[in-house]
Amino acid sequence: MKKIIPALLAMVLVLVFMLPAFGQEDIVELKDPAFTAPKRPAAVFKHDEHNELAQIDDCTPCHHEDVDEEGQFIEGDPDYKCADCHTVEKGNGTPLQLAYHKMCIDCHTEKKAGPVACGQCHVK
Amino acid sequence: MFNEIYELVTGPLAWIGWGIFLLGSVYKLASLWSLAKKKDTSSIYYTKAKFGLRSIAQWSLPFGTLGWRETPSVTVVTFVFHICLILVPIFLSAHVILWEEWFGVSIPALPNHVADVMTLLVIAGGTFFAWRRFSVPEVAFVTSGHDWFVLGVVVAPFLTGFLAYHQIFNYEVMIVLHVITGIAWLALIPFTRLSHMLVSWYSRAYIGSEFQGVRHCKDW
Ligand code: HEC
Ligand code: HEC
Ligand code: HEC
Ligand code: HEC
Ligand code: HEM
Repeated sequence: MKKIIPALLAMVLVLVFMLPAFGQEDIVELKDPAFTAPKRPAAVFKHDEHNELAQIDDCTPCHHEDVDEEGQFIEGDPDYKCADCHTVEKGNGTPLQLAYHKMCIDCHTEKKAGPVACGQCHVK
Repeated sequence: MFNEIYELVTGPLAWIGWGIFLLGSVYKLASLWSLAKKKDTSSIYYTKAKFGLRSIAQWSLPFGTLGWRETPSVTVVTFVFHICLILVPIFLSAHVILWEEWFGVSIPALPNHVADVMTLLVIAGGTFFAWRRFSVPEVAFVTSGHDWFVLGVVVAPFLTGFLAYHQIFNYEVMIVLHVITGIAWLALIPFTRLSHMLVSWYSRAYIGSEFQGVRHCKDW
């Protein structure tokens, strides 16, 4: 009994520390659960590797909370999901699918680097 | 490298293609009209909307005419082929996304698997027409190189689009070929046999008017 309790405690501790570690698993593709009936394969996107390769040091433009009058993104909290603010259905503001496409494709077009055609991101 | 090529074919080349299609179509219709006015005024005189529309409606029905009843296989393939041929490029979901993102127009989209089947029907229809041009003597007899060229131009964007969508062979190569063949498809409409898309309405209306209005009999 004396040995089981610390062992159990240790297991609980391990689990408590492991869970967020599972949660923080590196992003390697984007498959937003907001799209309940996805029509395309997930989009490849290795979060950290991408930003290193593309030499993006800021978390904006991607993580923002709004755009200012000049159309510049205002820094936002990365813990929010795109879908927290952009809805799948068209309402006011940029709908979710367009938000993703604009964010990703506009920069690739401008930089003349990175995927721009459907199948380069939505790889089967 | 790919980004530059993709930008070129979806940008300037696409605009040129649309320009040739639209201006070429206007030119084609205007030049045929002025030719008809010069050489064949009586055909214009006899063409009446009522007879014309009646005839076009009748010929738009599968098996609605004696002509359509003669070779049922050709009739079925012709209708399926043309319906898919027009609907797929407009309502394909990938194209609908581009209509929206590039031009801000939202239109409904075909489900992917439906568009996929319709694409295969166009390719199958094209294959059927090619087989006829080879194997049916009376068709082979009137077939020229131009017919083969046109058949190839029409089917090419469907074939390359299908291969790109399914990511068969090299995707980057296929999508560029697809856009180029798609633009060629549009741009060649006014200058090839494909111009039947523009002028066959008038031919039908004229024939319908001559039969109904002059000979007092049906043309179907
Ligand atoms: C090129 C765009 C881009 C850049 C730059 C970027 N991110 Fe992200 N990040 C994303 C996307 C897309 C997601 C997924 C969002 C979603 O699921 O709604 C994400 C998710 C996250 C998440 C949530 C992870 C998870 O598992 O839920 C964190 C944390 C994060 N990013 C931190 C950062 C930080 C810190 C920076 C700046 C150093 C940064 N990001 C820069 C695009 C980017
Ligand atoms: C905290 C809320 C919030 C989050 C989270 C968020 N956005 Fe936004 N985003 C906005 C607001 C507000 C605007 C400005 C109004 C609009 O266009 O919807 C905006 C604008 C945009 C625009 C610019 C549209 C234009 O026309 O310039 C893009 C692109 C975009 N968001 C993509 C994303 C992506 C991709 C993510 C996830 C990585 C994301 N957003 C996360 C709030 C948010
Ligand atoms: C601020 C600019 C910028 C934004 C925003 C951006 N990218 Fe990129 N991305 C780049 C650049 C630059 C490259 C080319 C890097 C290289 O090859 O040198 C790239 C390359 C890529 C690649 C190929 C390399 C790799 O990491 O596998 C993918 C895939 C990609 N981006 C996906 C995305 C997606 C998905 C988004 C949207 C969530 C996005 N990108 C948003 C700039 C950006
Ligand atoms: C730069 C990368 C990129 C390119 C290029 C791209 N997409 Fe996406 N797309 C994304 C991302 C990221 C998302 C949001 C994550 C997801 O897939 O759920 C998305 C979401 C979608 C969605 C909604 C989710 C679903 O699966 O139903 C559709 C539909 C879609 N894209 C179709 C297309 C089509 C069609 C094209 C070409 C005309 C295209 N995309 C080009 C990155 C891209
Ligand atoms: C008349 C001309 C065109 C026809 C007939 C055509 C037809 C098609 C077909 C059949 C598909 C595949 C659909 C499937 O199998 O589900 C497709 C996909 C596609 N087409 Fe076209 N297309 C044409 C022109 C264009 C042009 C001009 C562009 C771009 C400017 C374009 C961009 C695309 C894209 C991006 C895809 C998606 C490929 C993918 O999913 O990866 N098409 N098209």
